[in-house]
This record gives sequence, C-alpha cells and structure tokens, in this order.
Amino acid sequence: MSNTLESYVNHLVSVITVDGRNIVGTLKGFDQAVNLIMDECHERVYSSHRGVEQVILGLYVVRGDNVALIGEVDEDLDTRLDLENIRAEPLNECKT
Amino acid sequence: MLPLSLLKTAQNHPMLVELKNGETYNGNLVSCDNWMNINLKDVICTSRDGDKFWRMPECYIRGSTIKYLRLPDEVIDLVKEEVVARGRGRGENRGRGGPPRGRGGPGRGFGGRGRGGGGPGGGRGGPGRGGMKKKEGFK
Repeated sequence: MSNTLESYVNHLVSVITVDGRNIVGTLKGFDQAVNLIMDECHERVYSSHRGVEQVILGLYVVRGDNVALIGEVDEDLDTRLDLENIRAEPLNECKT
Repeated sequence: MLPLSLLKTAQNHPMLVELKNGETYNGNLVSCDNWMNINLKDVICTSRDGDKFWRMPECYIRGSTIKYLRLPDEVIDLVKEEVVARGRGRGENRGRGGPPRGRGGPGRGFGGRGRGGGGPGGGRGGPGRGGMKKKEGFK
C-alpha cells in the first residue's frame, strides 16, 4: 500500500494551511515536499456569526511548508452543504 | 504533474507570489529552479497591510520564503500541451531507433564493436580484460 497523495490527484481536496485557512480545490499535482497544485480552488472563511464565505482563488501552487492537512472531499456531500447556515469558529494558526 | 514543472511552464506568464511575511509580489516569471527560487520582472511589491507599494524592474525571491503562488488559469492547459508534444517527439525517435539498436550500427560506440568481432577489449575478454584484474603490489 503506497502512502502518497497519488490517490487524491484530480479529486476535490480540502487543505488546511498552517495559518488556519481552509482551501478547497482540485489537486492537480504534488511532490515530495508536499508542494501542491490546486486548480479552481477557493478559500472557505468560517465565522461564528455569519455563513461561510467562499473566496474564489483560481490556480494555485501552495508551498509544502504551509500545508498542515489534506483531506479528500466527497463532492456529492459537498454540493449538499448549506454554507449559508453553517456557523463555525475560525481555526487558529499552527504553533511551532 | 509536478508543481515545479508547472512553474517552469509558467515562465513569461504573470503571477502573484505571496511570501510568508505577507508581502505580495506581482510580476512576470523569468526563471525558477529546483528550490522554487524565482526571478520576476516588472514587479509590483505590496506590503502586508496593503498600504505600501514598490515598483521594481526585477527581483529574486528565495523559494523558502514563499507561501504560495497564484498563476493564470491558462498555464495548466499549457502543461498538458507540452506533455503531448514531448510524448509525440519521443515516440518518433523510438520508431527510428529500432534497427540500429539490434545491430549495433555505426557510431553506436562500444555496443556495435562488442558484437561484431570484438575490437580490443570488445566483449571477448581481450588482453587485460574480462573480470577483475589484480593490481600488482596492491596488498
């Protein structure tokens, strides 16, 4: 069993960066340093008193140093999310 | 697709680079290397708070200071074209390279000579070849 991000390529992924941001997009490529290519990505900004704000970003290369977590997103489930009614505390940045 | 190869393809395209310190650099990519160090030209630098601006003809950014790069959407399509073009070029060579490979044709170096009649030290174990030669006096 191989432990790479290979299985996530061309799938929708959710990335949490070290500064606590959540970026959702299609993973197009990666390397050993976990530098990522994210296509059609957007940032989801969570708030405890407003709905989720989606900021469209486009094509990004994210440097691996800044990646904390990558998770595969179920696209079906994601489209069924009612972002306007989600309330959540924003994440803090990673403490090194 | 490797991020660094995407970057190589993005040469001469405009891009936005955000550094770990929050500064943003907008400019055209001149070159990049395996450490993601990049050279931009016609650069506009914006401070973290967005209140200060600098304009410079070129700049060099050390890869380790980069947080992310924002590229124009068309760059990803350019990579696909490059991969197709490269694959096609290599395929043509493969067809032509068949026969010479089997025969060890002229100009192929030691491959041809070894098969044919064995030039000096070809494949026949000429004098001083074929296995390890013990050097005298090397105890």
